[in-house]
Amino acid sequence: MEEKEKQLRRLVIKAFHVNNVQEGEENNITPDGVLSVDKSLIEGLMKDEPLIESIDIKIIEPGKHDFWTNTIMDIIPVSAKVLGKLGEGITHTLTGVYVMLTGVDTVGKQTHEFGSSEGILKEQLYLNRAGTPSDEDYIISFDVTLKAGMGQERPGPMAAHRACDRFIQTYRDKLKKMKGDLCTERHEYYDVVRPGKKKVLIIKQVAGQGAMYDTWLFPQESSGVEGGRSIIDMGNMPVLLTPNEYRDGIIRSMQ
Amino acid sequence: MGIGPSTKETTLHHFRDPLLNVVSSDEELDLLGVLVVGTPDDNADKILVGTRAAVMAECMRADGVIISSDGWGNSDVDYANTCEQLGTRNIPVTGLKFSGQNGGFVVVNKYLSGIRDINKNAEGLESCVVGENNAVELDARAVTAMLKLKMRREGA
Repeated sequence: MEEKEKQLRRLVIKAFHVNNVQEGEENNITPDGVLSVDKSLIEGLMKDEPLIESIDIKIIEPGKHDFWTNTIMDIIPVSAKVLGKLGEGITHTLTGVYVMLTGVDTVGKQTHEFGSSEGILKEQLYLNRAGTPSDEDYIISFDVTLKAGMGQERPGPMAAHRACDRFIQTYRDKLKKMKGDLCTERHEYYDVVRPGKKKVLIIKQVAGQGAMYDTWLFPQESSGVEGGRSIIDMGNMPVLLTPNEYRDGIIRSMQ
Repeated sequence: MGIGPSTKETTLHHFRDPLLNVVSSDEELDLLGVLVVGTPDDNADKILVGTRAAVMAECMRADGVIISSDGWGNSDVDYANTCEQLGTRNIPVTGLKFSGQNGGFVVVNKYLSGIRDINKNAEGLESCVVGENNAVELDARAVTAMLKLKMRREGA
């Protein structure tokens, strides 16, 4: 007799769709899907980051991608842990809007590793991939200018990621308070054992050689920076994750 | 060489990775987990971390492995070695990697027959367009099917 599938743990991801992004007096998300951005927060974000010269935040409407941008360091979902640790419990995430982190330094050195993507956004970003926004999504551009010479030194891009993470955290704090039953999508994922089936392992080979070629694991929040560890600092040794940990944003690309 | 704009996997890609979705939802497979391994600079380190990954797969009694790569070029050394280490342990392996016209393996061995080129660029080039040469669901389905075939054929 075939053994039955065994469920180990459950992760629930609830998505809240944003259908409008606009400037406002505070960083906020309303239950009816309006996200507001308060640019006066920029000063506070820069206070603890001596390597950052300036930050510019722009709201990009769907399809309006005909403007120049610095090289794209990362595309980041806005997700927050509501209950439990990464890989189990409940996570809230936004759909309809993603954060795009871009970077340069004051002498014009783009923050990239091998080939850079600065240019007209519509020519530099392939939409509708797993890792990129769709053609109906808003993008919040978080553009960091680093101090001279910091564009490609490890502490520079790290400062940019940290500042961007603090910006996203203001939305995570709102997301945590959203009523779960108001979500627009609900997904349940189980880590399962399927006795008798072929046992398969996924190996993800990731970047681990230095500035803009780094991968972080184990942040406190989904797809976050705070609390994370660099795979470089762990000697690039293999680290085993459950499928749900991986799916819950336990990896942050630091490229 | 390392990670170009069109092949790099963003944080959003990891959050919605098509490879994980395809493998975890396949009821004919028992997904053990996701093993994340880095790509060090030093050659001896490259061999070490990839070998440890293969040893872990063996100790977990994996019947098969699907490997993906973020970037290409210098990191092919890591990739090809990990495939070889799995192969010498009789663990069938298939995988995803950008090759196109300019990203063919810089090193080769006999365990790379199940590697699918994820190039999407018309001219087969690493481009400066973020996301262009990323793995998509079709790639994930292809390497999963290929692994099933390999496991059956190699009696894993």
